[in-house]
Amino acid sequence: MEKFIIAARNVGADVHVLSKPEDIVAYIDERIDGGLMLSPCPSLKHAGLSAMLKTAGVDVVEEDFRAHGAGAAAGLTGANFGIAATGTVVLESTEEAVRIATTLPEKHFVLLDPRKILATADEAVPLLNDFHKQMPQAYLAYITGPSRTADIERVLTIGVHGPAELHILLLEGVSDDVMER
Amino acid sequence: MNKADRSRHYQDRVRKAISKPRLQDTLHRFADAYVVAREAAFAGQDFEALRTAIGEMKDEVRDNLPRYRDEFIANAEAAGAKVTIARTAADANAYICNLAKERGVKTVVKSKSMASEETHLNHALKDAGVEALETDLGEWIIQLAGEKPSHMVMPAIHMVKEEVAELFSKVTGKEEPAEILHLVRLAREQLRQAYLDADMGISGANVAIAETGGIALVTNEGNARLTTTLPKIHVALVGMEKLVPTLEDANRIINVLPKNATGQLITSYITWIRGAVPCGDGDKELHIVLLDNGRSALAESPHCRDALRCIKCGACANVCPVYQTVGGHVFGHIYISAIGVILTAFFHGLENASELVRACIGCRSCVAVCPSNIDLESIILHLREVIGEEEGVGAGKSIVFKNVMRNRKLFHGMLRAASVLQKPVTRGERTIRHLPLFFSGLTEWRTLPAIADKPLRDLWKNIPQKVEKPRYRVAFFAGCLNDFVYPEMGIDLVKVLNHLDVEVTLPLEQSCCGVPALYSGDKDTAVAMAEQNIDAMLKDDPDFVVTSCPTCTMALQRDFIDLLKDNPVWAEKAKSLAEITIDISCFIADKLDGAESFGKAIKAEKVTYHDSCHLKRGAGVWEQPRRLIADSGREVVEMAHSDRCCGFGGSYSFTSHADIAKHILGDKIKDIEASGATCVAMDCPGCMMQIHGGLEKQEKTVRVRHTIELLAENLDD
Repeated sequence: MEKFIIAARNVGADVHVLSKPEDIVAYIDERIDGGLMLSPCPSLKHAGLSAMLKTAGVDVVEEDFRAHGAGAAAGLTGANFGIAATGTVVLESTEEAVRIATTLPEKHFVLLDPRKILATADEAVPLLNDFHKQMPQAYLAYITGPSRTADIERVLTIGVHGPAELHILLLEGVSDDVMER
Repeated sequence: MNKADRSRHYQDRVRKAISKPRLQDTLHRFADAYVVAREAAFAGQDFEALRTAIGEMKDEVRDNLPRYRDEFIANAEAAGAKVTIARTAADANAYICNLAKERGVKTVVKSKSMASEETHLNHALKDAGVEALETDLGEWIIQLAGEKPSHMVMPAIHMVKEEVAELFSKVTGKEEPAEILHLVRLAREQLRQAYLDADMGISGANVAIAETGGIALVTNEGNARLTTTLPKIHVALVGMEKLVPTLEDANRIINVLPKNATGQLITSYITWIRGAVPCGDGDKELHIVLLDNGRSALAESPHCRDALRCIKCGACANVCPVYQTVGGHVFGHIYISAIGVILTAFFHGLENASELVRACIGCRSCVAVCPSNIDLESIILHLREVIGEEEGVGAGKSIVFKNVMRNRKLFHGMLRAASVLQKPVTRGERTIRHLPLFFSGLTEWRTLPAIADKPLRDLWKNIPQKVEKPRYRVAFFAGCLNDFVYPEMGIDLVKVLNHLDVEVTLPLEQSCCGVPALYSGDKDTAVAMAEQNIDAMLKDDPDFVVTSCPTCTMALQRDFIDLLKDNPVWAEKAKSLAEITIDISCFIADKLDGAESFGKAIKAEKVTYHDSCHLKRGAGVWEQPRRLIADSGREVVEMAHSDRCCGFGGSYSFTSHADIAKHILGDKIKDIEASGATCVAMDCPGCMMQIHGGLEKQEKTVRVRHTIELLAENLDD
């Protein structure tokens, strides 16, 4: 987990270790100004986040993400697993809602159970294989830090087309299933 | 365009590029940062093993292409994709344009695809009445500017922020400040709605995986994720060479690609897509266009087909001194730099490649960093031969190579005559500072050494050799420069080797190694020279053949074998010569274990070492000369970019590309000066000629010495 945190911070992700689901709500509430796309991930459902966020007054969007288009300020998703060597989170994103929640908004909050952190990308290959065996159509995403570019004069600049902020929230106990979908 | 016009046009573009110091500055700064970042990214990994594995895997796919292609198509179609094979660029464009017409597509968003640059897809779409919008920031910038990419990974690296601000101001209709963050955010705002409105998204692919029928995209900005998510139709235009057998193979490439491209451990996004994934109320329509466009022909070329291993990382440009000097618009067509030279020849025709083929200086820095183990320089040399056969090597060169060089006595006779004829310009000195009239360009930025009064071969019989019981008898392959320009180095070599109980012979039938002819595309002359030299050097059955010029070393160790491999009479002899050929520093340090045999120099001078391209990246020798210099009582101080080419490149700096060579030399002189050394050492008479010429012209006092000369100084003391 330490390796993962260092690597993710190195590429500009905000990483926080939380101890209970309520912390997630508080963390997001502090940092959001607008709608939050809540992706249909099992671990989020399991943590009961939808109701908790609404109670806290967050404007939660749970369907028809396309219509909300560029309007939503943030997206909240789970993660199937992480890769420590590069600080990567891996999301099975075949559902369009997961993809929209992680591409259009300015901020992406992602909840990862630290028990699901692999050491290297090589260890992820068997899981990629399993996903392809289970799913006839698949869209799998490795996400490492926020959207970046260096296309103008090679100057590293954060937040071009994808999220400008990536917040990785580590909370043990939400899911130990790397194949969840 | 005829050949002369084409060359003139090309030289014009070189001159224009050289007059843009900011371009060179950007490319140099990037190159420096790249080397550091790349090294850090690969820390703890065995690059040689990684690239060998990638090369082998790519060869496996190339050799069994129909099998992997059919496997890919079957799996992709089972997942709901429609796959088509486009034989030519026009076929690919026609398929995509027809699809757009049939589906009533008005606008297309594109994520970065070099294959679509290769086919000029945007033009085709425009002609079909479809508006295509590039969404990768760099691609959008060059689309607005109406230009081509100048780098495979960083298409707009040639532009400065002020130019970008000007382009963006035209889009918004108001003056936009030239602040990079502002410009990036502006691109985000401007392109946001386009993803939602577009009827079709077009992407490339970094790999296409046979066992899944899926593709993977390696990106940083997030535009490819939007392009492949929001529009109802996704078209992936994929070069056939992107096929890999398994997910594991794909992972292997993705591990290496960002590290080697920009020094990133991994890009922000790796996206694996298989089949018609959900989109809106239904499923997406996914079309995969597998592009051939010359790739099959490339696969059939035994000399060039390794180029199909390329994973399009762009590293060959990052490290290329020619690219750093003139940029990708000059040293490139659509694909740029070393790999671009080769791909252009096969994808866009030899006529678009012929100037580029000559623009390579042959320093092999690209070969050292290629993640697919492609010997780019050798392939470019082969293409130079092909162009030499197609177009001729130039009338002047042709006469010299065919009629003079192949006849050793005539060639050496002309060099002797030149020694006399040069007297009016040398004024008896050892260097030529100015040349009259139309030759003056040659000494404008460096002095040239005079041809010696007496070549080494004439002095040889009077050089005393005092070895009572020789450990070895070695034959010295002097090369033209050592023989006719720097004969005193030969005397030093004898002194140094005698000191280590080695007797030296100079076989007089030896001649030019043939590299000037080979590198100019005259293979026949190169073969004739190889045969002459093999006979001369093997005649007395020496223990070793030693060389003082790394280009000659490569000729004897590598090129002769290649030139004669299909000749049953000569192939074995070429191998025998290669086996006993060794450069002088390596011979002394490793074979004779003689580094500590020269005592300590009286003056503990600061010496910086310049790695000659063909010594370091050809023969793999760099540590030995440093050890010899340090053990001889001198302080070795490293200059920055010690293994960057000095810009000599033989005839490159004389005739074909003097402008570029001059700039590369300028960089080297700056690095030498900044090192604080009072002497720069090297193991190549060609580099000596170039670097000494540049230092002398700029009136610098740094001494230029061959490693062997420094060792001999110790014996004189």
